[in-house]
Amino acid sequence: MRFILRRRAGGVLTSRLVLGLTMVALLLTIPSFTSASAPASGASLPHALGTTYTVTWNTVDVSTASSTSSALSVDFTQSATVWFNWSGTSSVTIANAQLQMFYFGFAVTTRTVTETNPTASASGHIPLTWTPLSIAYVLAGLYKITASFIAPNGTTMFSENFYLRATALYGFVAAIPIVLLIIAIYEVYALVRSGRYAMLGRKPATPPPSTPPPKTPESAPPTESAPTEGETPSATPPAEETPPASGGSS
Amino acid sequence: MSATSHGAACGVVLGIVIVIFLQQIAYLDLSDLVPAIEYLLIGGIVGGLLGAGIGYALGRSYLARHDVAQATAPPKNADGP
Repeated sequence: MRFILRRRAGGVLTSRLVLGLTMVALLLTIPSFTSASAPASGASLPHALGTTYTVTWNTVDVSTASSTSSALSVDFTQSATVWFNWSGTSSVTIANAQLQMFYFGFAVTTRTVTETNPTASASGHIPLTWTPLSIAYVLAGLYKITASFIAPNGTTMFSENFYLRATALYGFVAAIPIVLLIIAIYEVYALVRSGRYAMLGRKPATPPPSTPPPKTPESAPPTESAPTEGETPSATPPAEETPPASGGSS
Repeated sequence: MSATSHGAACGVVLGIVIVIFLQQIAYLDLSDLVPAIEYLLIGGIVGGLLGAGIGYALGRSYLARHDVAQATAPPKNADGP
C-alpha cells in the first residue's frame, strides 16, 4: 500500500514538474507580435521625411523620460494634458492621437483622441486630457507609456515610448502595494513558523501512557471499597441523607 | 509537509511578491512581457532556494530545541521479545 502511494506521489510530482516546465517554455516562446506592445520609437516607421513629432506631458517633453531612471513622476489623481505636436516641410494627416500604458506587455489602459475632420497640414497639434482617476487607487509604480500619431488609414506615423512613475494618493494608498505588503508579511511569518512543520512530516507522536490519578486518603478508589454482601449501596445522594437544618426563629 | 518544502513554498511566493513590489516602488520595469516573466522566474527560484534553506535551518533548530525524536519514536515494549 505504501509502495502504491509512494508511486502515486511520484507520478503526481512528475506530472506537475512537466506541466510547470511546459508552461514556462510556452511563456518564454510567445512571439513578440502576439503581445500588445506597441512598436518602438518611430525610427523605422513610414512617417514623412522632414516632419518633427513631439509629445509633451504637462509642458514637459516626454523624450526626456525615455528611460526608467528618468521617468516622469506624476500623480494619477491629477489630470494631465498631453500635447501631440508635429511640424515640418511636408504635409501629413493625423487622425488619432493615442496614449497606451503597458504592464506585462499588455496595454492596461488606452486613451485616444480622434480628429473629426483630419486634414493634411505641415504642422499641427492635438491636445489630450487624461484623468486616470479610475486606476489611481490601484496602480502605483513604474509604467511604460506609448504616445502614437495615427494616420486615417490606421498607420502609425510616429510613436514614442516614455516612462511614468505613478505615485499613489497620500504617497502609499494604492491597493496593490498594500496587498503585496500583506502577502509578504504573512509569508515571512509563515517562513519563521516553518520549523514547527518539521513535526508534520513525521509520525504523529504517541500519547504518553495515562497515569492514574493521584490517590488521596480522603477519596479511596471505588474498587477498593467494594460493597459487602447484603449491603446495598445507597442510590440517594448524600445531600438528601443529611437532615434538614433544624431550628429557626419562630 | 516538511519545514524545507514549506520554506521553499513561502520563498517562491515571497520572491514573486518582491519582484512586483519593486515595480510598485519604481525600481523595476515590468512593462514588457518577456523580461517581466524572467524577473518573476528569477525571483521565484531565488526565493524558493533561500526559503528552502531557511526552512531547513529553522526545522533543524526546532528539532534541536524540542525533543521530537523521543516523542515520535515507536513505543518501546519492555516486556517484548
